[in-house]
Amino acid sequence: MTKESDMDRPLLAVEDLHVAVEGKEILRGLDLSVSAGELHALMGPNGSGKSTLSFCLMGHPKYEITAGRIRYRQEDLATLSPDERSRRGIFLAFQYPTAIPGVTIANFLRAALRGVRGGDVPVKEFRQTVKPHLKALGIPDAFMNRYVNDGFSGGEKKRLEILQMAVLSPLLAVLDETDSGLDIDALKTVAAGINALRSPQRGILVITHYQRLLNYVKPDAVHVMMDGRIVRSGGSELALELESKGYEGFRPSGASVGVGS
Amino acid sequence: MSTPKPNVQINEDYEKLYGFHVPEHAVFKAEPGLDEGKVRQLSGMKGEPAWMLDLRLRGFHHYRRKPMPQWANTELLNSIKFDDIYYYLKPTEKKSESWEEVPAEIKETFDRLGIPEAERKFLAGVSAQFESEAIYHSMREDLQKQGVIFLDMDTGLKEQPELVKRYFGTVIPPADNKFAALNTATWSGGSFIYVPKGVKVEMPLQAYFRINAKNMGQFERTLIIADEGAEVTYIEGCFTKGALVTTNPDYKPIEQIKVGERVLTHAGQYRHVYRTQERPYSGPLYTVEMYGDSTQRLEVTAEHPFLYVKRERANERNRHWDVQWGTPKDLKWRDYLAVPVNRITESVSSTKVTVPFRRQSETVELPSTAGFFRLVGYFLAEGSTDPRGYIHFAFGETERELIEDVKSLLRQTLGVTKADEFPHPKNHGINLVVSSAKLARAFRQLFGESAGTRRIPQWMMLETPEKQRELIVGVFRGDGNYYNQRNKHGRKEIFRITTVSPVLARQVRDVLLRLGVVACLNRRDRRHEHRQAMYTIGVGGEFASRFGELVGIQVRSSLNGKKRAAMFAIDERYAYVPIKRITKRLVKNTPVYNFSVEGDESYVAGGVAVHNCTAPSYSSDSLHSAVVELIALPHAKLRYVTIQNWSKNVYNLVTKRAIAHEGATVEWLDCNMGSRLTMKFPGVYLMGRGARGEVLSVAFASDGQHQDAGAKMIHAAPDTSSVITSKSISKGTGRTSYRGLVKVYPGAVNAKSTVRCDALLLNPESRSDTYPTMEIDEKRVQIGHEATVSKIGDEQLFYAMSRGLKEQEAMSMIVNGFIEPFVKALPLEYAVEMNRLVQLEMEGAVG
Repeated sequence: MTKESDMDRPLLAVEDLHVAVEGKEILRGLDLSVSAGELHALMGPNGSGKSTLSFCLMGHPKYEITAGRIRYRQEDLATLSPDERSRRGIFLAFQYPTAIPGVTIANFLRAALRGVRGGDVPVKEFRQTVKPHLKALGIPDAFMNRYVNDGFSGGEKKRLEILQMAVLSPLLAVLDETDSGLDIDALKTVAAGINALRSPQRGILVITHYQRLLNYVKPDAVHVMMDGRIVRSGGSELALELESKGYEGFRPSGASVGVGS
Repeated sequence: MSTPKPNVQINEDYEKLYGFHVPEHAVFKAEPGLDEGKVRQLSGMKGEPAWMLDLRLRGFHHYRRKPMPQWANTELLNSIKFDDIYYYLKPTEKKSESWEEVPAEIKETFDRLGIPEAERKFLAGVSAQFESEAIYHSMREDLQKQGVIFLDMDTGLKEQPELVKRYFGTVIPPADNKFAALNTATWSGGSFIYVPKGVKVEMPLQAYFRINAKNMGQFERTLIIADEGAEVTYIEGCFTKGALVTTNPDYKPIEQIKVGERVLTHAGQYRHVYRTQERPYSGPLYTVEMYGDSTQRLEVTAEHPFLYVKRERANERNRHWDVQWGTPKDLKWRDYLAVPVNRITESVSSTKVTVPFRRQSETVELPSTAGFFRLVGYFLAEGSTDPRGYIHFAFGETERELIEDVKSLLRQTLGVTKADEFPHPKNHGINLVVSSAKLARAFRQLFGESAGTRRIPQWMMLETPEKQRELIVGVFRGDGNYYNQRNKHGRKEIFRITTVSPVLARQVRDVLLRLGVVACLNRRDRRHEHRQAMYTIGVGGEFASRFGELVGIQVRSSLNGKKRAAMFAIDERYAYVPIKRITKRLVKNTPVYNFSVEGDESYVAGGVAVHNCTAPSYSSDSLHSAVVELIALPHAKLRYVTIQNWSKNVYNLVTKRAIAHEGATVEWLDCNMGSRLTMKFPGVYLMGRGARGEVLSVAFASDGQHQDAGAKMIHAAPDTSSVITSKSISKGTGRTSYRGLVKVYPGAVNAKSTVRCDALLLNPESRSDTYPTMEIDEKRVQIGHEATVSKIGDEQLFYAMSRGLKEQEAMSMIVNGFIEPFVKALPLEYAVEMNRLVQLEMEGAVG
């Protein structure tokens, strides 16, 4: 049951988040708020902590929250395991999806759908659920019998991420550099997949370091991230500004330099 | 260090008290320990030719002379007490040609093992090894006509002396290794197969092996000869399938039952399962359906005993209820099956639940009072939890009385004073909301996360009838109705409770049994409506009066001018339900399941009492030391499949080797899951040009197990090729080793060999070692070797979990993917079983 007052509250609220990996602090006081119906773009140079944020949202055990918190639909995510987050409607499209040899996409995706729905998904129903998405993404049926990400090209991996996102139909989708390494056709397919997911109930966070994807996906807000925090937020014009000035122009004066790797 | 304990849990006096094995009735049982006299005695008793005695003595000589291997697991090897082992036990005087001739005691065991007469018709051949000797054996006629010989080894020696003499011990000579030598000296039973030139046997030939007596060595000897151009597959193994078993507190498919779990027995007690069995079954399978529960059909083998009551009169309910055990053949339509009623009462004053709360865990204490039980009843029917920390009860606008009752129960039992009402004008409902993350999490944990998984926790199932009655009241007020209308057949009066949770439906039915009410259970499939199936618990007839008393609705004692009646009955121990239908069908290689239960040796499957099938159980260790020799003559194809799932106190030290002549192919598919220690290295001598050998093996070692397995490929001719794929999984303190040899002799030009071994470690304390040896004495060859050892990947696990898979499920999936190349090569039903076995082994891998 959703109470009306929930509509006013953000879907995702990251407050003063500090995160360390193996003792090294990567996020240093990050604030971010995404409401249902919105698409946010998070941009930043390599090493600014974008992927750390995405892993942290999904609950990767290696990432330790040292201060601050993440609230999703009013709930503190800290104690929830990745699968519990997934079942509450959070999805992460990985930058480097992992291969699981011997496990077919069909089996994997059906198990995922079972997990997310919390009950059995008969084969027939599963097929009916997946079919339109395969078609929309231009993926042949035979793809479903391949092993998860095993021997996939970069483009195939990204397509599979979008397919999973479409099928699992999350409330909060985080896409970590899903656009990197794609040719223009694949980029358009991915963009179409993202646009198809946009709805008043959903929030989407697109992490990227190029403006290119934003030609096809119109963000409601753009954030620039450097050194583990957001240094500026604005509308879609910010992405264009970034394109012309480069990241250095956004570095707050007096901030430490030398993070980019 | 002490030796690891077998994980079979057996009461000290088990054997005396509950031993279900056939009384040992061996015609001849050698003294424990081995000497030359015993070898002579054994050979003499079997009436063997002189050359075999000679071979046995040579074997004995080498066994005495050869030291224990000083590799693999010396600690475990040195713990074998060879002097305590009975080397030969001849179960019966003469081998039987037909099933009828098999002595009753052994027949009983074998019936329980499921190797009935009918099998002749379906199986290409079955040879069953009971202790040392194959005692029953059958083969399909058409194969016999083509000249295929499939005999137990002893008979083979008698009937085919030339063939046996020509090949026996040629691949694995007496001096091969200590255990092969021991086998040569003491062998008994095993299979002898000869497939004539050009004959292709499509169906796998198979055998069952089984160790019955304690400290019994099993030394079977198998020899398979595929003549020129012949093709054959041989499967040895032990396999398994099932019904819903009443466990404590849930109901589980029988195949998921594990040692240590408690199940309901025919005596209405929950007792521990001390052993599980699984096997393939061919023969008639009976389907028994009963009135009163349309959700269950029991499928059982011909010899599986049921607890039942014979019907006294055709059109009247019985007056006497004398229960007896009977097999499906004894059962008739409308006889009564006995449904044990759990009469254990364990009352508590409160219960504690630990829930995650603000990054820590907190304990919530809940009272075990009648009021709380009624509140739970309401919750099971109308409630839901919200992960944000709310408990909701959904009522109709008009159910004011119920709303007030829930509010007052919340206050009384949980001290909750604030429960807000939110009207739902659209569906005329009122939502009662309690805001408490701790309580919501506790309820979620205790009563299931969603409507489809609602359940009553175990402690509540065992509480007093007084409290349970309140639970029924709550459930009934929430989800029940009282149908009382007149139709053209007269008045119909029935109480109904509906739920989408199959577990809750069954639990409510069981609680009602404790309260003296026999209810019917029905399932309505609503798939076409895209909704979950709906379960209805219905109470009518004479039980409606009793139910009415429970929930406070008075019903008349007569209906349509007649005294209320029911087809069911209930007494102190059992409820009795008539059989609706018994059907029989013939199956082939269908996995069947069974398990052994402390004390009562019975369990409740599909709601009714059945006796456990087969269970000789001994706590001491057994030795299995077989020798298997395969001979593939030119252009023959031979495939040998093993799925080894010995109990975890068996030492499995087996020698398996093949010779492949020109253009012949030998494949070993070898899976080792059971035993304490396995040492097994199937090999192929590639003796002729173009011969091909393959070993595809999987080893799974759980706590305390060591699987030392591998392969040997000997290239002794040009253009020969070999492939070794080894997959091993170590869980807990389990240890796997790959030990392999590839040898290429000079002159074996263009030999090709690929070795790939992958090891997967599931836990930090798991262990895996690789000992590959390559001896290549020819330059013009292609040899590849690749070995990987991986921990179950954190990244794989994270990826799968980020898609909603629970940790356990993610791990199982990764492991199943890992052994996929092996599973793919198995016949379908074995592949399914293999996945299931892995699933079982994987349980408890997390944490």
